[in-house]
Amino acid sequence: MKLFPRVALGIRAQLLLVLTVFAAIPFLGVAYIRELEGVLRDAQERELAGTAQAVATALHDRPRLFDPASQMLMKSGQPPLDLVDAAAATRVIADSTGDLDQILQGLTRTTARIRVIDRDQRVIASAGTLKRMQDDLPLPDFIERLMHPVYALVLAQPSEDFREEPPGTISPARREVQSALDGIASTERRAASDARVTIVSAAYPIWVGDRVRGAVVAEETTNALLAARNHAFERLFTIVLATLLLGSLALTSYATWLTSRIRRLRNDADAAIDAHGRVRGELAGSAARDEIGDLARGISGVLSRLSDYASYQEQMAGRLSHELRTPLAVVRSSLDNLRQTAMPAEARIYVDRAQGGIDRLAHILTRMSEATRLEHALADTERERFDLSALVQACVDGYRVAYPARSIEFTPPGETAWIIGAPELVAQLLDKLIANAAEFATADPVTVSLDAAPDSVRLAVDNLGPLLPAEMQGRLFDSMVSVRAGARAEEPHLGLGLYIVRLVAQFHGATAHAADRADGRGVTVGVVFARG
Amino acid sequence: MSRRIAIVEDEPAIRDNYSDALRRHGYDVAAYATCGAALAAFRTRLPDLALIDIGLDDDPDAGFALTRELRSLSPSLPIIFLSARDSEFDIVAGLRSGADDYLTKDASLPHLAARIAALLRRSDLASAPASAEDTIARGALTLDVKRMSARWNGTRVELTLTEFWMVHALARHTGHVRDREQLMREANTVVDDGTITSHVKRIRRKFQAIDAGFDRIATVYGVGYRWDPDV
Repeated sequence: MKLFPRVALGIRAQLLLVLTVFAAIPFLGVAYIRELEGVLRDAQERELAGTAQAVATALHDRPRLFDPASQMLMKSGQPPLDLVDAAAATRVIADSTGDLDQILQGLTRTTARIRVIDRDQRVIASAGTLKRMQDDLPLPDFIERLMHPVYALVLAQPSEDFREEPPGTISPARREVQSALDGIASTERRAASDARVTIVSAAYPIWVGDRVRGAVVAEETTNALLAARNHAFERLFTIVLATLLLGSLALTSYATWLTSRIRRLRNDADAAIDAHGRVRGELAGSAARDEIGDLARGISGVLSRLSDYASYQEQMAGRLSHELRTPLAVVRSSLDNLRQTAMPAEARIYVDRAQGGIDRLAHILTRMSEATRLEHALADTERERFDLSALVQACVDGYRVAYPARSIEFTPPGETAWIIGAPELVAQLLDKLIANAAEFATADPVTVSLDAAPDSVRLAVDNLGPLLPAEMQGRLFDSMVSVRAGARAEEPHLGLGLYIVRLVAQFHGATAHAADRADGRGVTVGVVFARG
Repeated sequence: MSRRIAIVEDEPAIRDNYSDALRRHGYDVAAYATCGAALAAFRTRLPDLALIDIGLDDDPDAGFALTRELRSLSPSLPIIFLSARDSEFDIVAGLRSGADDYLTKDASLPHLAARIAALLRRSDLASAPASAEDTIARGALTLDVKRMSARWNGTRVELTLTEFWMVHALARHTGHVRDREQLMREANTVVDDGTITSHVKRIRRKFQAIDAGFDRIATVYGVGYRWDPDV
């Protein structure tokens, strides 16, 4: 069941991936702001319609307003009113219509342009301008100023730079105007003549009696709304971006902290077990009270149990030998007693055989506990500086006596090889190497070599014979591991010899290694000592 | 009057076998299974020699405590440790608690009998004057074979029976290498190579305690040991 493709994703990358869920927030924001924009537009239209209605209501039933005297003023070819001085323009028109003046006076403050037209679509009065005089937005802060150019690329910006219809004329055939003159209030939305802004325009009829005599046209650009929308957009995006940035920073640093702890734990756990699966040392564990701390404590517990088990296994031989000694003593003392009693001659043969078996068993037990005794002995062994070369020479002389059937070759290196350690232990180590080599040798000679390097000395014993099985490399020096076929049965082979080699080598800070000979005809087992 | 030997051993088969064998050698044997029983009996009557198992009553070190108690009752009573264990630590701890000798249960009954006879003889003769024909002199070393005691430059070296026999085996053939097999045979003991090594080490230390420059016992690696003659 592969739910995920096999892509190596670190915890940090995974967390950042999860973080992309929050990328939906800007889209939600956009949708919300669009919604808001629609509401604002409706409100703007209603407001404009309201304004037009209010002005129109004030102008109902004032026939004087539309009398020719005042209209003459407009027709006399007076130039278009100054756009800025809208209030003054209003006054000029209102001179002849004192009430109109008062009514429109208060409207110049709005952002809308309000015009009054008669049935012939002639402008009777005009107030206000479409262009906003000043920016009414709050001053942007530093971040907004910084981000503004970026947003400007994607957001339509409101512009006050557009061609405004002169106040004195009104483009013909505008639907809302027609509709108002027909007596129906209406609102329209159109682009300015140069298409730079959108203008919302509301028209409301002016009634005199039951006739429509004119209309009020209120217009406004959507710039204010656009600016508000853009501002909202910018704020939203800035906040979301900042949140995402801060969030991913926080998550990344948190993930970095987590991964560094996990990596440290992994390295510690790796370092706690050597290449042969032996536990080197305890794991420091962790005082952290979270799951990683738990994991560290768990691994530490597993390692210590593993280490206990390994030491149990290594001491098992010693323990077993100890346990077997008592029953062995019972048999031995019984046989000794039996010899002292009168018995038939044929019985004596069996007693002798039993004695032989018991002696052999005792020999095995002694060898089994040798490693355990050595471990105890190592604890209080003193180190001294001695010449390994002389020691090996002396030992080899002894082996030639001990193994008369084997030819043992040794060429002294011709120089001294001083090391620091316990000579009798190194002699014991060499005993084991020679015993191991002699046991597996199928042909002469067993070769002892001592190679001196500037800072190390390599002691090795070669024999011709069966090679090491590949699957047991690295376990050769473990307790009770015997791997080579062809061991002769006359000596019990318990696999403790090379374990003792390892113990002694460890005591000297040396490394023991076993490998097939380069020529493939036998095996070399050696130890590399540091020079002392 | 026959000698009285106390055996403190919790394994009944071994206890009975040892008792039978020693009775056959003409000793009067008192066997005890527990520390308490043995100690109670020792308070009323001391044996001539005690054979104590180290692990008793499920306590692996009970024999050490019993030895100390017994030693406080009699400073000269010969005590032999008998143990299934033969670790260096046990030997040292046993001898330190006041035992005269140490045997593993591997030792055969004739070995045990030889050892008991020798220890009894040594304690009998401890106070008797030494005669010239019983001694071997090798330079500064004087061995009294009968009393099984050794002197270096006239100072007594406190050796256990095993150690004395080893020194005897080495010094008798000065300059000749004695291999481990020979040393074991002459010391009436069955131990492994490592134990021989530690015996020799302890012997060296005992001589060095008297004479810091002592270096007569040479190790011949791969073979055995040699007592070097005076230069």
